[in-house]
Amino acid sequence: MSTITDQRSLATKTGRLTAQPGTAGSSVRPGTTPAAGSVLTAKRWLSVMLGLSAAALMLLLACLQFGTQWIGAGQLIELLARLVRAGGTDAEAIGTTGVILFQVRLPRVLLSFLVGGSLASVGVVLQALLRNPLADPYVLGVSSGAALGVSLAILLGVGTTVLALSALPLCGFAGGLLSLVVVYRMAASYGRLPVHSLLLAGVILNAIFSAVIMFVTSIMDPNRSAGMMTWLMGNLSAPSYSALAIMTAYLMVGVFILFKQARVLNLLTLGEESARSLGVETERVKRLLYVVSALITGAVVSVSGMIGFVGMVIPHAVRLVLGVDHRILLPASALVGGMFLLVADTTARTLLSPAEIPVGIVTALAGGPFFIYLLVWRKDRFS
Amino acid sequence: MKRRQQGILTGMPFMANIVPRTFVDDLGRKLYLAKVPTRIVSLAPSITEILFAIGLKEDIVGVTEFCDFPPEAKAKPKVGYSHPNIESIVALRPDLVLAPRAFLRADLLSKLEQLKIPTFIVDPDSFDEIPGRIQMIGRMLNRSASADTVAMEMRQRIAEIQNRTEARPRPRVLYVLNSQPLITAGPGSFIHQVIGLAGGTNVAAQAAVAYPRLNMEAVLTEDPEVIVFPVGVAEGIPPAEQELWRRWTSLSAVKKGRLHQIPADLLNRPGPRIVEGLEQLARILHPEAF
Repeated sequence: MSTITDQRSLATKTGRLTAQPGTAGSSVRPGTTPAAGSVLTAKRWLSVMLGLSAAALMLLLACLQFGTQWIGAGQLIELLARLVRAGGTDAEAIGTTGVILFQVRLPRVLLSFLVGGSLASVGVVLQALLRNPLADPYVLGVSSGAALGVSLAILLGVGTTVLALSALPLCGFAGGLLSLVVVYRMAASYGRLPVHSLLLAGVILNAIFSAVIMFVTSIMDPNRSAGMMTWLMGNLSAPSYSALAIMTAYLMVGVFILFKQARVLNLLTLGEESARSLGVETERVKRLLYVVSALITGAVVSVSGMIGFVGMVIPHAVRLVLGVDHRILLPASALVGGMFLLVADTTARTLLSPAEIPVGIVTALAGGPFFIYLLVWRKDRFS
Repeated sequence: MKRRQQGILTGMPFMANIVPRTFVDDLGRKLYLAKVPTRIVSLAPSITEILFAIGLKEDIVGVTEFCDFPPEAKAKPKVGYSHPNIESIVALRPDLVLAPRAFLRADLLSKLEQLKIPTFIVDPDSFDEIPGRIQMIGRMLNRSASADTVAMEMRQRIAEIQNRTEARPRPRVLYVLNSQPLITAGPGSFIHQVIGLAGGTNVAAQAAVAYPRLNMEAVLTEDPEVIVFPVGVAEGIPPAEQELWRRWTSLSAVKKGRLHQIPADLLNRPGPRIVEGLEQLARILHPEAF
């Protein structure tokens, strides 16, 4: 049986790394890897997760160095020491560079990782649920619903603060939730949720919401609509630590609920009939997964605007390398998605420094061609 | 059309009524006006303000929905703004349409040309050009005297402000067009020029574009001493937005409590009131000079 020790051998060999069926005694939870060509072993799971976590940590430290001013590794450590000595992010104690590092760059880097990971996880789940490789948080119209909520809030000039969060995220969240309910009601016929009507409902709702957003933009004072358009293009900013903590807790709970359903997702990819015959309460599970996905997406859109392609491309890439078992696919996609958005956002904030590019543009420019590559050149393994 | 001889007589005051009535607009298009227009459509709030300032309120037949100054402008028929309605423009039977370059779609311009509605683009590139544009509109519309008065008064007030602020230290200024994401005014924008004239230094002076999305790290490095928020009429800086900025306690502007607001319309519109905006900004930057 193969063992994986580092990241590189993983990338080249996995997917093919199959333990022999006879050795399945060592698998984490025996018996439920239907569509995968590989059997998941505890060792493989652990080594992949450890490898990816280590890579993510290194990347995080590397990205902390980039910005309008370069903060080298030595300076990072020195600033950290000053922070520990001062016992807080007091501007006098840690200096401007310290404020830049700990108040601007670090929270933003963490937020980008969090957002990327959440989007990728939701992407995995929606692709499995809809059995459609094009599914991602945007297809269901959840993101445009959230965006509509925010644009209306900007139009009406809502400017109050609730729970350290500004009102805009809350409006975005409400919009996302509303669109989910509408999609769900539209698609639910005879107490069940046929896949194609759900997709159609999402497409139609997307069209309606985009039209309303464009309407809102067209009647808005041009001086204000510029700000909204940039927001819609995907935007990450440095959150305060209290806002970041609330966001982290919220998203972690959501993503954890998704992780818990990994085995059920494996069964659902077989088809609903088969899953039902294997004892899965499909409607209940699907409802749970859709609602959680929508809640995660609503929250993500409300802090970051529309960041596309993470939820669509990352799951595909990870599936190519690691196979289709959701027990490994889900957490691995979360880590890879986080890393992807981390790099994309670092590019967005450094490329034209001191100006910034909307991060949604970077993810689309990086993710789009990759997706085409997968479709055209890796057709054989892409189904 | 016979081209008139242009000679030394052209500039003489008593020849004013027979000077060539051909004008070149900001797109370089030539416009010949056989008689003075009396039905004018304005496609920008700044142009509406200019027309009112030189005493043409009777001749304006159509304005945009954002033309709210002077208050009488609100009573005029509306033709839309970023998407002006061509039918409502035609219905007003204008003999001159004055339009800005920004937000004016190319198809609208060609349609107006096709319909033989004289269209003149007024879009000064820099602050200094505004009084000159007002004078040009005055000449076109036979209001030279009042336009000259308006322009002269503007130039005097600009010179006065420059006198007062010139010798003083120039505080670093951040002009916040939008807080989240942070959008500010860089070189190439009117606001950048106004900050310079008011005796300040724009912290976004290094930016490559006119309205850059500025990185918060860059703001902390540049350390603005004054942060200016353009706000709507009778509206303060929203509390949530203030809180957003008070978080950055290392900024000089936050330490000294120098978060100020300025009516957005005064600085966004390249018309007669921009001088008022300049004065307000100069007072914010140099309270001791006034």
